[in-house]
Amino acid sequence: MTNEAARHQVTAAPLRSIDVGSLLRAATVGALLVLVGVPLLFILLQALFPHLGSGSLAEPFSALLPSLLDRSVAGLLLNTLLLGTCVALASAVFGGALGVIRATIPIPYARVWDIVLLTPFMIPPYISTLGWIVVLQPRGYLQQILGFHLGPFLFSLPGLVCIMACHLFPAVYFAVSRSIASTGGELTEAALMSGATRLQVFRRVTAPLALPAIVGALLLVFAATIEEFGTPAILASQSHFEVLTTAIDQRVASWPIDLPGASALSLLLVLLALAAFTGQSRLIAGRSYVTISGKMKSQGASARRSTVVFGVTALAMAALITVGVPLFGILATAFTRTFSRGLTTSNFSLRNFELLFSNTGGAVQAMGLSFGLAMCAALVTASLGVAAAVLGRRRGAQGFDALGALTALPNAAPGVVIALGLILAWNQPWLPATLYGTSAMLILAYSCILLPYAARYASAALTQISPDLEAAAMMAGASPTTVFRRIILPLIWPSVAAAMMIVFAVSSRELVASILLAPVGAHTMATYVWKQFEQGSLGLGMAMSAVAIAVTTTLMLIATARRPVRMP
Amino acid sequence: MRAFSLIVSLLGLSALALSNGSALAQSRITVYSAGPANLIEALAKGFKAQSGIEVGVFQGTTGQVMARVETEAANPVVDVLISASWDTATDFAKRDRLVAYTSPNAAQVPVSLKTETAVAQGVSALGIVWNSRSGTPRPSEWADLAKPEYRGLVTTPDPAQSGASFELIAALRAKHGNWTLFQALSANGAIVAGANAQALNPVLQGAKAAVFGAVDYISLAQQADGETIDVIFPASGTVAAPRPIMILKWSRHIDESKKFIDYVLSPEGQAEVAKVYLMPARSDIKANRPLVKDLTLLTIDTQQVYAQRKEILGEFAAAMGRK
Repeated sequence: MTNEAARHQVTAAPLRSIDVGSLLRAATVGALLVLVGVPLLFILLQALFPHLGSGSLAEPFSALLPSLLDRSVAGLLLNTLLLGTCVALASAVFGGALGVIRATIPIPYARVWDIVLLTPFMIPPYISTLGWIVVLQPRGYLQQILGFHLGPFLFSLPGLVCIMACHLFPAVYFAVSRSIASTGGELTEAALMSGATRLQVFRRVTAPLALPAIVGALLLVFAATIEEFGTPAILASQSHFEVLTTAIDQRVASWPIDLPGASALSLLLVLLALAAFTGQSRLIAGRSYVTISGKMKSQGASARRSTVVFGVTALAMAALITVGVPLFGILATAFTRTFSRGLTTSNFSLRNFELLFSNTGGAVQAMGLSFGLAMCAALVTASLGVAAAVLGRRRGAQGFDALGALTALPNAAPGVVIALGLILAWNQPWLPATLYGTSAMLILAYSCILLPYAARYASAALTQISPDLEAAAMMAGASPTTVFRRIILPLIWPSVAAAMMIVFAVSSRELVASILLAPVGAHTMATYVWKQFEQGSLGLGMAMSAVAIAVTTTLMLIATARRPVRMP
Repeated sequence: MRAFSLIVSLLGLSALALSNGSALAQSRITVYSAGPANLIEALAKGFKAQSGIEVGVFQGTTGQVMARVETEAANPVVDVLISASWDTATDFAKRDRLVAYTSPNAAQVPVSLKTETAVAQGVSALGIVWNSRSGTPRPSEWADLAKPEYRGLVTTPDPAQSGASFELIAALRAKHGNWTLFQALSANGAIVAGANAQALNPVLQGAKAAVFGAVDYISLAQQADGETIDVIFPASGTVAAPRPIMILKWSRHIDESKKFIDYVLSPEGQAEVAKVYLMPARSDIKANRPLVKDLTLLTIDTQQVYAQRKEILGEFAAAMGRK
């Protein structure tokens, strides 16, 4: 900021606000650069300078073109786009329908249903996929109980799309139900009074207003799909459907290591995310989504009994399929003595849980570490996400929102690449001090990977708050800090809290970055589970997964049982 | 602002509580190890009890371990490396990254399992893992799995993801001079399924009947644990994968690292190796499983096949119908 501009500001606003504002901006930009900019920069450098890992900038560009011009890259790119689009569409249909049902029908115990439908999100995808497999594959639990299996479907592209949509639909469900619920009742009532039918209200008022949240959620699903590794790797190995992440893993995790090639493919993924992000900003630009104007909100209308029954049935069916099936697979495996003897009473056993709670392999420490790290990541991402959204809003929606782009970028870089970028950056020999080798690296990784969730939720919530509210408070003499504390934060808090829960749930089970960054000698829950699978102790791994899912779900219950913040 | 400072102090506290890199014991070595976590943890514990030297362990697949070493190359922290693929020892020796050391305890290790800069910790072999409740006849040869009884019931680990699998397909190709066996397997519906665990899990539940070329020790342990599987080593020959243990040149704890290798090759260390159903590197240690002398091993010119790795993997993929 130039001196002249600064002086101009001084006359326009109280002195205090500039200090706080510019301090906030500097802190946010700095934190985002460290968290997101640095690892991605080092990935770029690695793609350009193949010998970066040895601290040398020799032979620049020698690896980039060969990596990108490889014959297989076009196919990988197409497969990735196809998978991302199909999963986003499937999630939109599935999660959208359920979200509308949840928001428009007064479902009894609605919050309990929310928790239940958040569960697919809290089951790590690689575990959930294994759960689906042990149920649906030939001689799986489905066949052991009902006599038929769905093997051919499971290992096909439609099967892959369905299973990934079952993991990811909650993002759309929550976005749709929250934003419709917060759509001012007065708008709906005004439309109804003007003679519109309920369907028309939905089409002309509710759905358009929910658009930013829905598009944001679909972007999340698309990005989460193209960056997901476990599910495609496990399922598609039989259908030969290779995507960018599996190809990157191939270059990183199998000897000989091809870091420059992996970095080049990662850059492709990052570009895909940027494109999706720009598309989303264009779509939203120039419209008003203001629904919270400070005027009174009316209570939702009551519904007929049959409608309620329909709503509950739909939610129950969805829960049964997306939560019940994989959870059954996980629990059945955890509670059997040996996997190969299947579901028989003589094979029932608590041995896996006994092993777990006698701290076999440090199971208890692994849980403690994961929950601690996940809490830190939730705090970091929420603070940064809100700060970036507030700053982005001040700047206005027109033009390229650099802060917003920075918060969305990590979405497309797979965990393995973020982890490599972090190692490359934090393990440079010239650094005077480094976090490398401590658990703080995991907080950095989780925060970087999950920042997009917090940022998206915060900015979608902010889009719905009228600037008039702030203006009115300012006129009444409130400082920007007070406006933020008393008006903005309480209004966006439900969204931010939801984002924090998601960040907590996802980071407490993040696998790929954890494996690469965990300090020597430490286990997280995910690396523990993965190690059990790798060593063939499927039952012990599933027991740990079951405990992890139970604990995260309980925490969510506690978090939502209390009403977080009252409306002022 | 109060909430903000609360968050900041919470973060600071958690960072303090969680960082365990600060208060390090004075003598401590860092070991990166592929393979069974329980083995390296038992070795670390036993070594500490004996020598008082702390062992920090990072355990992953060979790929993950090597990726970590590569990315850290500018500022390495690892002292001792245990890989599941001898190729990495050859490669690191060529790049002059290894300390030459011959442990006094290596006297009982056969010459084929040691070089100037590396020595085997233990040895695994590849075999057929077969589910005895799958309703199929017990196979005894690789070629059996191409028979109609096993149609659509065979998996094999991806040789692109596993050094041992790669050596097996290279050796079988060299033996037969063609890819007919794999074309027959593919025609019989065999699938290439990721890493070892991904090939094995369907066989455990019975979705598939047999793994072509699974790592033996994991399945031997499962069999001992009551799983209804059998590990079969074809008489026509298989490959063994010695697991090299090496000291890195950049280590600042070379003396402690040498002591660690001595411990791994001591009778106690080798007994831990045998306990996880690996073959001990020393020929004078007993193990409850078939040993190298009980197996027919296929000969393979490692230097030559690794030089042609890309071509061989390409030909394999073509033979298995994966383009």
